[in-house]
Amino acid sequence: MAEEKSCVKCLGLCGFSRGGDLSVVDVKDGRIIRIRPLHYDWKYAPEEIPLWEFKARGKTFRPLMKELNPPFRLIYKNVVFSPTRVKYPLKRVDWDPDGDRNPQNRGKSKFVRITWEEAINIIVKEMKRIIEKYGPCAIAIDSEGHGQTKFFHGGCHGVPAYLMKHIGGFTWITRNPDSWEGWWWGAKHVWGQEPDGWVKTPNILHDIVENTEVILCWGCDYETTNWGWGDQGWSRFGYWLSELGIKQIFICPDLNYAAAVHADKWIPIKPNTDAALQLAIAYVWITEGTYDKEFVETHCVGFEKFRDYVLGKEDGIPKTPKWAEEITGVPARIIKALARLWARKRTSIFHMSGGPYIRGPYATEPARLEVLLLAMQGVGKPGVHQFFFLSMFYSHIPVIFPMPLRTNRDYNSYFTTQAIWAGKPEVADELFDKEIKQFIPKTLLPDAILRPPISWYSHVYIPCVTECQFKKYTYPAPGCPEIRMIWKTNNCTLTCWNGGYEFAEAYRSPKIEFILAQSPWLENDCLFADIILPVTTPLEEEDYGATVVYHTQYANAFHSEKCIDPVGESKSDFEICCLIAEKLGPEIGIPDLLQKFTEGKASLKEWAMEMWDETGLSLLISLDEIKEKGYYILPLSPSWNDLKMYPPGLRKFYENPEENPLRTPSGKIEFYSERLAKNFPDDRERPPLPHFIPYGETWQESLLHEKAKRYPFLLVSNHPRWRMHAQLDHAIWLREIPTCKVKGPDGYYYEPVWINPVDAKKLGIKAGDIVKIFNDRGTVLCGAFVTERIMPGVVSVDHGARVDIISVEDRIDRGGAINLITPHEGGKNTAIMVVSGFLVGVEKVDIEELKRKYPEAFEKKYHPLVGPCYETYVLNG
Amino acid sequence: MKVFVIDLRYCNGCYNCQISCKDEHVGNDWTPYAKPQPEVGHFWCKVEYIERGTFPKVKVAYIPKLCNHCDNPPCIPACDMKAIYKRDDGLVLIDPIKCNGCKKCISACPYGVIYFNETLNIAQKCTGCAHLVDGKGPSDLKVPRCVDACPTEALKFYEEEEAKDLISKAEVLNPEYNTKPRVYYIGLPKRFITGSVYDPEDDECIEDALVTLTDMKTGEKITTRTDIFGDFWFENLKINHPYSVKIEKDGYSAIEIYNIVTEKDVNLGDIKMYKART
Repeated sequence: MAEEKSCVKCLGLCGFSRGGDLSVVDVKDGRIIRIRPLHYDWKYAPEEIPLWEFKARGKTFRPLMKELNPPFRLIYKNVVFSPTRVKYPLKRVDWDPDGDRNPQNRGKSKFVRITWEEAINIIVKEMKRIIEKYGPCAIAIDSEGHGQTKFFHGGCHGVPAYLMKHIGGFTWITRNPDSWEGWWWGAKHVWGQEPDGWVKTPNILHDIVENTEVILCWGCDYETTNWGWGDQGWSRFGYWLSELGIKQIFICPDLNYAAAVHADKWIPIKPNTDAALQLAIAYVWITEGTYDKEFVETHCVGFEKFRDYVLGKEDGIPKTPKWAEEITGVPARIIKALARLWARKRTSIFHMSGGPYIRGPYATEPARLEVLLLAMQGVGKPGVHQFFFLSMFYSHIPVIFPMPLRTNRDYNSYFTTQAIWAGKPEVADELFDKEIKQFIPKTLLPDAILRPPISWYSHVYIPCVTECQFKKYTYPAPGCPEIRMIWKTNNCTLTCWNGGYEFAEAYRSPKIEFILAQSPWLENDCLFADIILPVTTPLEEEDYGATVVYHTQYANAFHSEKCIDPVGESKSDFEICCLIAEKLGPEIGIPDLLQKFTEGKASLKEWAMEMWDETGLSLLISLDEIKEKGYYILPLSPSWNDLKMYPPGLRKFYENPEENPLRTPSGKIEFYSERLAKNFPDDRERPPLPHFIPYGETWQESLLHEKAKRYPFLLVSNHPRWRMHAQLDHAIWLREIPTCKVKGPDGYYYEPVWINPVDAKKLGIKAGDIVKIFNDRGTVLCGAFVTERIMPGVVSVDHGARVDIISVEDRIDRGGAINLITPHEGGKNTAIMVVSGFLVGVEKVDIEELKRKYPEAFEKKYHPLVGPCYETYVLNG
Repeated sequence: MKVFVIDLRYCNGCYNCQISCKDEHVGNDWTPYAKPQPEVGHFWCKVEYIERGTFPKVKVAYIPKLCNHCDNPPCIPACDMKAIYKRDDGLVLIDPIKCNGCKKCISACPYGVIYFNETLNIAQKCTGCAHLVDGKGPSDLKVPRCVDACPTEALKFYEEEEAKDLISKAEVLNPEYNTKPRVYYIGLPKRFITGSVYDPEDDECIEDALVTLTDMKTGEKITTRTDIFGDFWFENLKINHPYSVKIEKDGYSAIEIYNIVTEKDVNLGDIKMYKART
């Protein structure tokens, strides 16, 4: 008999146990028929759905009565049945744990299928050996911040850490504030705003729609970055802002996807020169007397030093619009017009998370300077804010905060959650020092493996507070061993972090005896593993969960049925850890390890009951009811739009800075940071007063540096339009979209590089040509996308394409994974990551010549639409 | 009778329509409505991507295109097998059983929205998700997938009666084909003329200059004023049509630019305006 069912699924791709928008998966006879947006009124009467709305300037904005799924949900069939799926446990063919490990062949040699029993036996034997020989901290846990939404199945978010806790510890590869480096390492020193460095109070939008006249979308693409997290509500909201008559000015090197449809004005700027533009704006305000002098006097410290620097008294160079024109490519007259408009109209700045604007060399500087400019216009006054799309969506607040504390299986968000529940940001740091015996910032992993000992400042970990940036840490930590095994549920480092070829080299170190990867897809870092275990997707798992209101119209709770049987022999990350715990425990003298890991709970429902109780969800909807209905829309807090209870942005500080101090040493906005001066008196890379720093000791990625003679283009790298970081690069229906991939003359789908027609002509490049993007750090191949949407002299490649390395030794890649050639170095006193705003050369490629030089690489088996796939890497696959 | 109304002013280019169409039809057999669509290569709903203007005055237009479900469909008489038919609700379908793969409909359709399935040897196209409209899908899904998936309500599916006001403001693609499409568009891109005016001596943008656009054929005039960046835009102009632009500002010598032909969108670039010498 035909069995038909419709299952609720959260297919958000940011994980963090915070969910995302909901979809409905229609299933018939074990087949997925379709994936579509959930309609709120499917199981509830319209009056049961809480209504929120914005009213401003005689217009009203309301949610639609369905989830606004981005395309990333609707292509999920592609993802589940991808030719890249890991179907079975795999072992690298020339890795013999009892003999030669051939670490030098990681990323090169192929894999063979083994049984689950063989895989678990090998893993347990290796872990036992390593724990007994070196101690548990020789095992490093590498997890990701962004992955499929999974509450009780772990996903890529570090569920093995919860197992290792019971074994006596591990080395934690911490996730740096990768999407907002500049705010975290820079802006926090100016205005606190722990832990991220940007303002996140819920009610800013109420004030903006009422009072703001101009919005500066500075390096911001709200039609793209949010697709991973949640819905497309910001798109609707963006159209509404225009209907209200609020002007949107986009300042970025590329006409990004939000600018393409929402911009009233595009001001193109050379990548990573924003600091010069900001200083020139300040110059106009200071010389024309158009900044808020009273606010600066009463709410800020150190302005005089800044004024002197801007006027040229410090270095003899007045930061005039003409000075900035040369650097930024923005005509002086446009800079003046922008400065005057900003001074004349109530202006707010919008960001998604910051993107390339605060992910370049010296990113601390534009981040800090932006805060100073906001201060000069009285930030917190009506209509004057910094607003982050990444904070609460639409400002509305649910009646409870449904993020679990104890039942969390996402180690990456564990510290964040603890701090949020405690209401004190310091809690994350305290807990970190208590729990973590040894850690390595992800940005420094290659240095730790290849060049120990190393030291750095801070936990380099998102939820941690500014004070930790003055604490020094070392690897190896006192009493801890070097790492010998890496257990990866994160497999995107090569294509998403700083200088992927450095990571490739580190993975090949003989010091690393064992790399274990768990993943649904055979791609990126998996290719450097010794054992790969196949992981299920959410469609193959039953789960319970809840969504905090990040980028969704409503917070929700859900139960999602298992839709289909696991593909191949895949299992969830949690199941895998259970298998390992069961066998490993008795071997290392912890016979009840499995019991400890599962807390004695025998079923998913027992876990869900605990989550429901601890979050308060059980007061709203029982487990039985959620199981029957599949979803539940959380009611709004009665005070969701109470501006007195939740004043917008920095309003309280604006109104009374003495009673509402910022979390800085002075309690005020610090143009000059005495704390930085005291702790790092000689730091010219993040000086106490923010500067425009074109190049310096660490980075020389500037057109003003002589290196630009060899590499004359500045590259900007956005959060990708058609991927969530490294996720979904293999989705066939996305790859058919003309801005997603460029089909080369050889039939291979190349990652596009945006290049202006002026530059293309000069270089003899036509649309669709295969080109190489290169610098001292290596080469990646791309497909030319010739477009008016990019500035001359600038090229753009999104990060996150799947690596398809032609030669690790020669550092050449066909996949277009641009982060392979980003700078690797962190700052002098920061372990900051630089992944945009760097120098490259661009040339047309003779692909036939490459084929002759690297015949083996080009003879790989490729899927005609997807490129590298399971068969590419598995013997007899 | 059903109609699609597509308001391009709210199309953000997410391609949900194109993708959800594939999700519905690839691998799913909706016979007698349609047989499965090939995994790739068919675009029963296809988003056209258009870059408009030149650096730095650039905009992007997206136009979702599907079968127009014409009231005067050239594909129907072209089919020898009488496999193509128009339903009472206006949707035009190709019967996948009767179709013999002769491809005559593909040549007959001036919009190029019929695709050929090599494996099944049949012509295929948008069905308006008639199977869903007829209630053969989930109880809460009675509209075409592209419409259900659209996050901004740019794509809507109506009873013609309900949409009368919208239709009166809308256009169809290539009305000159005379096929009477049932897919209506609001905000179809026309042409724009833009420029930026500045004073090269003071190196300042010129704000509030009066810009007059003249239709060189009719003599009709439209005016606008430059903004703080010296920018002016004239939108929704005729395609491939001659215009002239006059720019005036107190204290400056006026500028006139003739014979601007809107074959494409026109960016006049940075226009220098000099102070009048007395």
